[in-house]
Amino acid sequence: MSKGKHFVVPMVCVAAVHLVTFLSGFFAPYDYSEQDRHLPYAPPSTLHFRDAQGTWHWRPSVCALVERPEQFGVYEEDRTRCFPLAFFTRGYRYSAFWLIQSDRHLLAVTPPAKIFLLGSDGYGRDELSRLLYGGRLSLCAGLLAAASSVGLGLLLGTVAGYYGGWCDAIVMRCVELFLALPWLYLLFALRAFLPLHVSPSQAFLLLIAVLGIVGWARPARLIRGIVLSEKERTYVLAARMFGGSDFYLMHQHIAPRTYGLLLTQAALLVPQYILAEVTLSFLGLGVAEPVPSWGNMLAALQQYDVLVSYWWIWAPGFALFLVCINYWRLASAMQVAAEGTAHWQ
Amino acid sequence: MKYLAHRVLQSFFLLVGVSVLSFIFVELSPGNYFDEMRLDPRISSETVSRLRMQYGLDRPLPVRYARWLDSVAKGQFGFSFAYNAPVASLLWPRARNTLVLTGSATLLAWMIALPLGILSAARRNGLVDHATLLFTALLLAIPDLLLALGLLLFAVRTALLPAGGMMAVGSEEMGAWDQTKNLAIHMIGPVLVLVLACLPTLVRHTRAAMVDALNLPFARAARTHGISPRRILFRHAFPVALNPLISLFALSIGSLLSASLLTEVVFSWPGLGPLLLEAILGRDFYVVTGAVVLASVFLVCGTLLGDFLLIAVDPRIRMEKLA
Amino acid sequence: MPETHLLEVRGLTKTRTQGRWWQRQFEVCALDNVDLTLDAGQTLALVGQSGAGKTTLAMCLVGLEQPDDGDILFDGKSLLEPDRKRRVRPRQDIQLIFQDSSGALSPHMSAAQILEEPLLIRRQGNREDRRERALGAMQQVGLPLSWKNRRPHELSGGQRQRLAIARALVTEPRVLILDEALAGLDLSVQGQIVNLLIDLQIERSLSYLYITHDVELAARVADEVAILYQGRIVRRAPPETFMANARLASTVLGRSDASDLSLGAHMGA
Repeated sequence: MSKGKHFVVPMVCVAAVHLVTFLSGFFAPYDYSEQDRHLPYAPPSTLHFRDAQGTWHWRPSVCALVERPEQFGVYEEDRTRCFPLAFFTRGYRYSAFWLIQSDRHLLAVTPPAKIFLLGSDGYGRDELSRLLYGGRLSLCAGLLAAASSVGLGLLLGTVAGYYGGWCDAIVMRCVELFLALPWLYLLFALRAFLPLHVSPSQAFLLLIAVLGIVGWARPARLIRGIVLSEKERTYVLAARMFGGSDFYLMHQHIAPRTYGLLLTQAALLVPQYILAEVTLSFLGLGVAEPVPSWGNMLAALQQYDVLVSYWWIWAPGFALFLVCINYWRLASAMQVAAEGTAHWQ
Repeated sequence: MKYLAHRVLQSFFLLVGVSVLSFIFVELSPGNYFDEMRLDPRISSETVSRLRMQYGLDRPLPVRYARWLDSVAKGQFGFSFAYNAPVASLLWPRARNTLVLTGSATLLAWMIALPLGILSAARRNGLVDHATLLFTALLLAIPDLLLALGLLLFAVRTALLPAGGMMAVGSEEMGAWDQTKNLAIHMIGPVLVLVLACLPTLVRHTRAAMVDALNLPFARAARTHGISPRRILFRHAFPVALNPLISLFALSIGSLLSASLLTEVVFSWPGLGPLLLEAILGRDFYVVTGAVVLASVFLVCGTLLGDFLLIAVDPRIRMEKLA
Repeated sequence: MPETHLLEVRGLTKTRTQGRWWQRQFEVCALDNVDLTLDAGQTLALVGQSGAGKTTLAMCLVGLEQPDDGDILFDGKSLLEPDRKRRVRPRQDIQLIFQDSSGALSPHMSAAQILEEPLLIRRQGNREDRRERALGAMQQVGLPLSWKNRRPHELSGGQRQRLAIARALVTEPRVLILDEALAGLDLSVQGQIVNLLIDLQIERSLSYLYITHDVELAARVADEVAILYQGRIVRRAPPETFMANARLASTVLGRSDASDLSLGAHMGA
């Protein structure tokens, strides 16, 4: 039971983050591309629980922002125009998991007030909404890419280990080749050799494919090791004697022994891939505007005044930190459960 | 000896494989440098095709590969369309700049990590140990990008450090000592980022390796014999822990060229990373290939060095591989 | 007049090569022109030192290894694939009980699942039929049905061999090969298993091929004893002959055992 304890907290945190971002349509007050040209780099909204007369309300209100004349980017609240927040209201349509269609949102406020819980970016877009939508993209990319890497590694590692001979030799040479390339450089090179200007959905799939190809080598080698020892077991021999085909032996007896390792590898790869996607998008090689990704949101920090003055633009970084720390703890817990001690790769 | 020759040969073939792989990717990729030119109505399509022929882009793949190999043999590493110069003339200065950064960072990181790791292992579960583990856990979770941006913010806010670049403007007029000081000041930010990025893994691995070595039966037996803890630590446990540490060191050496890409871009340090990025955005493929192959050379050499060191240091491996 | 034996082995030959392709190789003859016959209801013991080729023979009979030359006939029909080179087709009628009982049973499956596996692989019957036959086999070998969800590591060595025998019985075989199946069990347990096997033989008219290095065990259980020495059958006779000719037995198995240990280490029996 003490083993189980280490899993719970990171697992819950990771699941919570994923769930919230998947349902970003519900949690985000605005669409990710909805702009307000009058309110670039607005600071996070102040929530007022007392109205202009001083009465306490349970429902907070938000006041409209007005730009101070002659001063760019500095805002003042117009206390005469305050609007209460509405919860569970109807707004723009969105879909979650490509299946559920809805128009219910958690938070909304009547215009012209804007509820910028995390401020706004250079185009007046709500940072929180973009954080959620961007998170959906970055996290999804990481998950899917890790799944493809691990899946590809399982396939090639099992085939190489089971059949041996020249099949094994070829796969192992390829593994060495891919491991001889510096990871990040390979990623960049692969990305370089693919079309630069693609639509966001194509970019997303491209990213997943590229990340998947870059990372299959290490899982494949580890899985091959397991397959090599498992295929010599007497009970596998017995199953073959009963007439079991190669495929039966592989999927019934050998592959299940690799699942523990696969999960651990996946837990290690997901944060790496999320970071890779963020890096690529930060440098302009990943997902492009207007679709948000934590990477291209952080790219705004490369401008001097943004870096220094607008602290809320760092929000994706903080979210990234939370996600990474929980994934590392999850991977640690898995390794502890599997081997008794945690190694760092 | 046969083993070492075998390893060197294997590394060579690996590098050949890497270069072939790069070329195949170039072949498969849509678009090239001259596509941009084609869009420009002022440049006629004949000029474009003539340029393509001049650079040999219309030849089949094996011919291009052979010509590239020839260029490598001559020390040129292909041709850059954007800079109109041999790739090597771009690579070497940039690589040197990167190595200055990563070399210092790696040295510094190991100099901190080794004593810290050994100390943590020696006083397991003590205050130092817990603090180290906590600190490294936090550092591990912070992505490199955030570290770089954070330090840049610190540099800009406090004006203690320059906000990027390698040398101040007008540094050519300074004397040699001033130039060195200037360089050093500019290096502090990126080196700090790199050190903080790789420190946690190094410390944890060192600690783990030392703990494993100290738990071995012979170390425990040495304790009961009354040998002083310090002697056990350095004379007995450390040589055993050296084995995994050498592999880690080989990896450190191997990633000297490739670990600092992001940091260089954020700090505007003129290293290999920004060159690669620029070449990618400009579709200057020979530069990309050259940079990737160069970085792979380092990685492969690093692994090879690790193997050689292991044989030199660990008598068990020496016997196994050279017998 | 040639009689049709249940199982007949003719001139079976298998050589193994040791060493990688760039090293100097040397060949070891695991089986050298082996002839064997087994009739219905008969118990034949195959005796030999470690490395004589006994396990190789067993592997060839069940199709886990391919001989280089020779033939294996079951009920008069060859088991070798007609087209491909000497590939032995495994048959349900011939089953092998391995020596390593804990290794031969998957530790990740329950007893019932282990017993159902042969039927599952052959896709025989539906889930209820398989469960029924599995439980029936458990009863036949004397294992309580309440143990059907136990894992192999929860059973003792003798109980595991019973389970292995039950698994072999599920496919309704006619020949059971026991490759050192009783080694490593204490004598009382050995006795119990031997009695079980005798009962099963009477009930189902099985034929047994006992592979063992224990001459006394062979003498107890077998109708005939054959000696395999360096891949060749050198002697085949009823056990009484061996007991009478103790010198012969010790010559082949005793002193040669010690002097040929090094050679035995090379053979993969």
